[in-house]
Amino acid sequence: MNYPFWDVPHIGSGWVIGIIAIFHVMISHFAVGGGFYLVLAERKALRENRQDWLEILRGHSKFFLILTGVFGAASGVGIWFAIGLAHPEATSTLIHNFVFGWAIEWVFFMVELTTAAVYYYTYGRVSNELHLKVGWLYAVASFLTLVIINGILTFMLTPGQAWLNHALTGREAEFFWQAFFNPTYWPSLVLRTLVCVSLAGIWALVTCSRLDGETHGNLKTELVRWSSKWLIPSFFLMPFVMVWYLFSVPEGQRELLKLGISTIGSGAFTQVTRVGLVIIMASATIVLVVYFLAWRAPREFTFSHAVSVLLLGLVATGAGEYTRETLRKPYVVGQHMYSNGVRVKWVDKYNKEGYLTHSPWVRKDPALPPAMAIGEAMFRGQCMSCHTRDAYRSMERLLAGRNRESIGNVLKILHEHGEPYRRYMPPLVGTQEEIKALGDYLATLVAPPATNAAPAALAAKP
Amino acid sequence: MKSRMASVYGWLDERLGLEELLAFARHKTVPVHKHTFWYYWGGISLFFFIVQLFTGVLLLVYYRPGPEAYDSVRQITYDINFGWLIRSTHSWAANLMLVAIFVHMFSVFFMKAYRKPREFGWWSGLVLLLMTMLFGFSGYLLPMDELAYFATKIGLEMPEKIPWIGPKIASLLRGGLEVNEFTVQRFFALHVVILPLAFLPLLGFHLWLVQKHGNALPPSEEAKPAEQRRSMPFFPNFLAKDLAMWLIALNVLAVLAALFPWQLGEQADPTKAPPPGIHPEWYFMSMFYVLELFQGTWGLALSMGIFTLGLVLWTLIPFFDPDSRNGKRARQATWFGLLVVFILTATTVLGYWGVYGKGH
Repeated sequence: MNYPFWDVPHIGSGWVIGIIAIFHVMISHFAVGGGFYLVLAERKALRENRQDWLEILRGHSKFFLILTGVFGAASGVGIWFAIGLAHPEATSTLIHNFVFGWAIEWVFFMVELTTAAVYYYTYGRVSNELHLKVGWLYAVASFLTLVIINGILTFMLTPGQAWLNHALTGREAEFFWQAFFNPTYWPSLVLRTLVCVSLAGIWALVTCSRLDGETHGNLKTELVRWSSKWLIPSFFLMPFVMVWYLFSVPEGQRELLKLGISTIGSGAFTQVTRVGLVIIMASATIVLVVYFLAWRAPREFTFSHAVSVLLLGLVATGAGEYTRETLRKPYVVGQHMYSNGVRVKWVDKYNKEGYLTHSPWVRKDPALPPAMAIGEAMFRGQCMSCHTRDAYRSMERLLAGRNRESIGNVLKILHEHGEPYRRYMPPLVGTQEEIKALGDYLATLVAPPATNAAPAALAAKP
Repeated sequence: MKSRMASVYGWLDERLGLEELLAFARHKTVPVHKHTFWYYWGGISLFFFIVQLFTGVLLLVYYRPGPEAYDSVRQITYDINFGWLIRSTHSWAANLMLVAIFVHMFSVFFMKAYRKPREFGWWSGLVLLLMTMLFGFSGYLLPMDELAYFATKIGLEMPEKIPWIGPKIASLLRGGLEVNEFTVQRFFALHVVILPLAFLPLLGFHLWLVQKHGNALPPSEEAKPAEQRRSMPFFPNFLAKDLAMWLIALNVLAVLAALFPWQLGEQADPTKAPPPGIHPEWYFMSMFYVLELFQGTWGLALSMGIFTLGLVLWTLIPFFDPDSRNGKRARQATWFGLLVVFILTATTVLGYWGVYGKGH
């Protein structure tokens, strides 16, 4: 692995983060919503003296503990590990500003993990009141982890003017709370809470589907229908909260979405709009599928039906995370740092003094000829967080058919004014020599190897 | 409001006999067991066919076969509002319909649903599959872009290799020695008139047989005493689940059509060399690979023989394994099915490996 910039062949580092993140969101949001589900279901069972419910809930809490405690925790660490490798500069900014936030997060996280284990292992071993209290403690601690992490995640989309005014002054940390309670904080918190509640219902349907409808017909009917009701708040509120969220995003970034909607008929609409529509469609389908498969025929609700609903949830969650990430373009930290890790305020300095001179994360490969090493380092530093050489957003494909001069023209556009790419691509920074070296390097990716000595040199790399 | 609805329903019922229809649907049952999931695939295939009919009619409004074929598809894709979506949906649904039919066919095979008295259901299903493949093949040329042109050219080389009658069939389909606008006219007629005329009655026959004989039980369920078997009413239980499956299928289709819109390449130019990596659609890849594998007259005879024999055996399986009493034959039929799945998968993968794995 050629750290500090992570070269993941074919899929690119972005997708490594994406895959872990989608998986993590499905579980971590369940961890939040599921806590309330367990405790409210237990309270109902105790009030109505339903031992059969308690038996099922105990099984569900075991599944919950394993899924959230093992896979949720591991994938959570995985995300930060992956972003540290793929976006070291952005991760560094987050750590410098939110180290206190993470400390709070870890406290709640430890309480969450501990109470989840205590909740499962004390089922039937402590008094009902105490067990319920442990459940409530878990649910609240778990919700507070969302309250904290939501501030850090939304900061990346909308850091807020107060923080931006003091960025790079050395006083950023003084504006912790302004950065934390940034413009998209509240809509995002409500949106994620609704997702948590829905996922609690969806995952509970997985457990309920395992019940035999023939022998436990009434129990299965009650549990399946009670779990299905957890999707109702999202059904009614999600559209309004989504609109609220979108109106909290800066106008410039919302433009991309609006452009997509206005060009929908001609088919030129942007990827973010397409994916946004997938969220709406998949969410609506979940509700209808749950109605047809679970509510209408709860006894015949099978494990494969539950998995189908779960997969639809995965599609909606994946599309949601993708949209959020894409709305942030061309920044990785809104208005402050471009997606290539270059701070907005440093563009001129990098252009004058050189990108490689200042970037602490990229080193030239000593195995390559000097000019090619500069070009390759520029590629790793400024292109590779979004593009790969030969597969996802492949440079080979995007530059196919262009000669060296044409590639140079594209780079010149990206360096000087960026139109029409600026809505989603950061400016290319560096001295003329660095940009020329990048052009030479990119030309080797599209030129036939026999006509160019450079690819042979690259191919000779171990 | 309720009473008004009831009076409208009563008016319709008096004339159309809705109540009888509902009583019939309620009386009809669908078996419930661990393989019930596979019963939905026939319905999913039907859903994609309905999508094909709907989008096909919309495309027909602007499509012009013959010399203007490419221009009209370009117009549909780039000029007409939502034309790109209709075209993309049509193309993706064609592929998904074939996937669904293949899944349906293999699930029918492994659940032994071809046995007495369902032989005609099996045969009509096979013919419907072959006709769907023909739908796909004839539709693929219609945009007349570079990829369609050369893929059809390669595709037509397959029937041409059939001894004696092959060249005549290929020439009949092409409308001459080369693929050109006359071929487009012929494929268009085949795609929108001849095939639908043959397909629709056969589909009706197939559905009638399904209705007449009901869903077949897999051997593991058949072995159970009747009182241990479970079932659900077709209406509303199975129908509600079927609709949910259609919704999921619609989601898959919409995601593919919107996120990966079907591309239109450059206009076909017969004087140009074919672009690298040209190959037929995935459902012909197995056949393409086997034909490429065995070269020469004897090789050709061998590969054609393998496919013909395979298809004949596949068709005649109800005679080989006609009832549940013969355990040995049932096991042999299952092994034969597994072998077919393995060969089709392996040759398709190897075919793609041959096209893309050689540095294209």
